[in-house]
Amino acid sequence: MADNEKLVFMVLHGPNHPEHATIPFVMACAALASDVEVVIGVQADGVCLAHKGEADAVQAPGFPPLAKLMGDFRDLGGRLLVCGPCINSRGISAPDDLIEGAEVVAAGRFVAEIASATNSLVY
Amino acid sequence: MIDTTTELAAITADKVIDARGAACPGPLLEAKKGMGSVPMGAVIEVWSSDPVTKTDIGAWSAKVGHEFLGVIAADGYDRVFVRRGK
Repeated sequence: MADNEKLVFMVLHGPNHPEHATIPFVMACAALASDVEVVIGVQADGVCLAHKGEADAVQAPGFPPLAKLMGDFRDLGGRLLVCGPCINSRGISAPDDLIEGAEVVAAGRFVAEIASATNSLVY
Repeated sequence: MIDTTTELAAITADKVIDARGAACPGPLLEAKKGMGSVPMGAVIEVWSSDPVTKTDIGAWSAKVGHEFLGVIAADGYDRVFVRRGK
């Protein structure tokens, strides 16, 4: 990646908030296309986006379908980190219930990613 | 950037990418993909019906090292020209 730039997007909203769930993936794809390293971290209801099938029907007005964006994000080399305690409290099992490429982590890893980033954004 | 539409219209792009109908960030991702398939110095032409694409691709070109050549307004869409710079 050029200039070692890195962005971290923390996503706290799930399928019930299509815009809040979609826009970070729009931004992330644009960043990856611009040679910026990207990590998306999902916490709270945001972890539902990494639950197989839950994002499939999500489409915010004016934007591509969320599942398409999440596929583009993965294909462009984005990394998706999922909050372990948040999936446990929702009965989501790892790795079987999670989408391809999702990595379960805890607070220490999130902090390390954010601390090493050029910038972080919270959605 | 090329100053006149006439000069821009005289360019024959090495690759034309039809991204009409795609919403942000679709045209940008298509431009990125298309740019990877042409050699250095080649020109791609992106067709987009999303009016923000021209500024989006302009900013992207400056960020990643391509040369944004300009835009021609067509019938219901924009023709955006970029030369591969790296």
